[in-house]
Amino acid sequence: MTATTINSSQIPSSTRGRKLVLFLKQFFLSPRWLFLIVVLTLWNSYAIFRQSRLMPTPLKVGMSMWKILESGVFFEQLAASMVRILIGFSLAMLIGTIIGILMGSRKTWDQFFSAIVILCLALPGLIYALVCVMFFGISILAPVTAIIAGSFPFVVVNVREGVKALDKDLIDMSNSYKIGRGKVVRQVILPSLLPFVLAAVRNSFAIAWKICTLVEVFGAVRGVGYMIKNSFDQYAVHGIIAWALLFGGVMLIIEYGFLVPAERHLARWRPQVKQVI
Amino acid sequence: MSVALSVSTNQSSTTVGKRVAKYLKGLVNHKGWLAIVLVLIFWQTISLLLGGHGLVPSPIRTAAVMWDVLVSGEFFVQLGDSMARLLIGFTLAMTMGLIVGVMSGSRWFWNEFFKDVIVLGLSLPGLVYALLSVVIFGTNLMAPVMAILFASYPFIAVNIREGVKAMDKDILDMTQAYKVGKWKVIKNVIMPSLLPHFLAAIRTGFTIAWKVSVLTEVFGATSGIGYMIRFNFQMFAVRGILAWSLLFGFVMLVIEYGILVPAERRFARWRPNISEVVK
Amino acid sequence: MKTSAVKVKDLVKNFGELRVLDNVSFEVEESSLTTIVGFSGCGKSTLLNVLAGIESITSGIAEVNCSNDSSTRLGYVFQSPRLLPWQTIEQNLLFVRPNDIDEETHSKRVLKYLEMVGLKNVRHKFPYQLSGGMQQRAGIARALCIEPAVLLMDEPFSHLDEITAGGMREEMLRIWEETHRTILFVTHDMQEAVELGDRLIMLDYHGRIFADLKIDLPRPRNLTEREFIYFYSDILQHLQKMQSIRAEELAELGLN
Repeated sequence: MTATTINSSQIPSSTRGRKLVLFLKQFFLSPRWLFLIVVLTLWNSYAIFRQSRLMPTPLKVGMSMWKILESGVFFEQLAASMVRILIGFSLAMLIGTIIGILMGSRKTWDQFFSAIVILCLALPGLIYALVCVMFFGISILAPVTAIIAGSFPFVVVNVREGVKALDKDLIDMSNSYKIGRGKVVRQVILPSLLPFVLAAVRNSFAIAWKICTLVEVFGAVRGVGYMIKNSFDQYAVHGIIAWALLFGGVMLIIEYGFLVPAERHLARWRPQVKQVI
Repeated sequence: MSVALSVSTNQSSTTVGKRVAKYLKGLVNHKGWLAIVLVLIFWQTISLLLGGHGLVPSPIRTAAVMWDVLVSGEFFVQLGDSMARLLIGFTLAMTMGLIVGVMSGSRWFWNEFFKDVIVLGLSLPGLVYALLSVVIFGTNLMAPVMAILFASYPFIAVNIREGVKAMDKDILDMTQAYKVGKWKVIKNVIMPSLLPHFLAAIRTGFTIAWKVSVLTEVFGATSGIGYMIRFNFQMFAVRGILAWSLLFGFVMLVIEYGILVPAERRFARWRPNISEVVK
Repeated sequence: MKTSAVKVKDLVKNFGELRVLDNVSFEVEESSLTTIVGFSGCGKSTLLNVLAGIESITSGIAEVNCSNDSSTRLGYVFQSPRLLPWQTIEQNLLFVRPNDIDEETHSKRVLKYLEMVGLKNVRHKFPYQLSGGMQQRAGIARALCIEPAVLLMDEPFSHLDEITAGGMREEMLRIWEETHRTILFVTHDMQEAVELGDRLIMLDYHGRIFADLKIDLPRPRNLTEREFIYFYSDILQHLQKMQSIRAEELAELGLN
């Protein structure tokens, strides 16, 4: 027999309807659209005024974006980049989690790794990108290594906090009830770590795709970064903006459409989850 | 939610000299050095194994290049150029960030108005700012300055916004009830309340500022650290890239962890949600 | 003859150099309600932790026995509820299912004891959604639902307001009379101890048993009845004696 949690189907539908209307009203009547309009208008005016190849109108950029999407080029290059990102990101999570657990449990490990983690946290992605491109050329090792080096510190930092935040009282309680080790790990330790792991995922993913793009700019023959570099070489501003917006858009959708809600849902047992962004 | 590492320091009532000595001693005994030494040994081994020319330069030869660059004074010349751009850009970013932040924090309207552009600004990689600035503004001073401005101001704005939102209205009401003078309120209530957020803003803003600045220089500058890095990249001189990057990185780390982080820690409460919004 | 549910003999517990329990010996009868009283930091919680197996013994014996089952099941009610925040109340109780009880039986018991403490209607809520008193009741239900031989309770009502605590005491007595578990109840509140226990063990500042008293008053004990007041003042004398000895010790230390 499993317990069911209270879900939204228990809220009367009239309240839900009202909530939906309220949400839509908030969404569409928000000053955010005003900003968009203002920016687009200013941009457009300036571009028309300038009449320079280096300052395309929003329309031109929009058309560029459409072309890229329609021709399927976007998905091709996106796929190439995503493969690199996912491999690098997964390995970074693996390494970072191990180091994070070590650092969170024992002080000696904490001290041992802390210098390197701080260093790697502070170095700009540029360095990782350049160095890896020089070592590995255009092989897939370049982006993957750069991503690992650049994003594992974010994983470490969050996992470490999670391990340190383990509630000893709850573990004592489990021991007093003679709960088996596996059960304690599964039902006490892992759920406790989950919010921190999710934060680690969110932060390291964010940095992973940025580093990957950088690596591709300096040394790749495919991928979003490469396309951006292409546009850059041709002084095609509309191309740069188009690719940046499309790719950034996809990444934002992943981050805010999946990762953030996942974090909020899986950590919903916390009474106060304050999201700044 | 992201989090910063903390290295703990103890504040006691002993003399400054003793405190410095204690700090240095702790620094030397820190096992972190062991890890760094291990990494250096690993690096040296790899470079020996892969033998031959510059593909993997040994740490020793890299250090030699670093030494040359320092001693000849060239590092400081280029650093000077980069720092000048950084300071100008960062100052502008602080100004814009302050304005947007205060507006967003005070009125719901402005918060909504700027919400998307701040989120976008935070998420776009520095690369985009760098490339666009170089293409639009050329190898001018404007390029790095504009890139820094747009890449960095969102971080400042977010922190300031939170600081303004967190202002204790109860206390402000109290000052009104006691008819406290405006400047007194600003000096004794508003500024101390904002200070931690202001410091967090500087730190996160500065982090992104110098990274974007170097990136911009790599793509289009005729002087500065980034230019030297690109120069070495084009000559395929790995040692050079490492040398310049490490030297510059070191200077930035000293600024960040030697000045900004201690300042923030001294004056600020711990705010995990904001302090480490990076890159 | 009733067997001992709990047997403690010459128990010594040190934390480093600090001796927290000093040659403590006592035996607890089955189905009895024993209260342990002492001041903060005198080792009462440590005693329970040792019995529960959370803390190790420096020397001596601390055993929990049961005459029927082979498994010595202990229910521990802590000062703070110690519920898993990411599980509902019901899930929290399901979590402590003993290995030798199958899921279906345990689930039925969970429902039974949740109803007994009056939480059946909120069993799908998360801990943060309930009040302190309700969370504590959940902790009690959790200890009960494994149908333990012995129930250890560490100042379970000390964080609650007096009205809620009074209600909880009544409920606890009712449950005890219904289920006949052996209960070891630790508290710093002398009045609570006299109100509840068959037997009162007092620990002094050094972790030694200062007094071991039987309380013969019939229940329900009315705090205003003359008998109670006599008994209570008797106990208070013990308390005062302990305090004056302590004062002497402190004075001696001060003089040195």
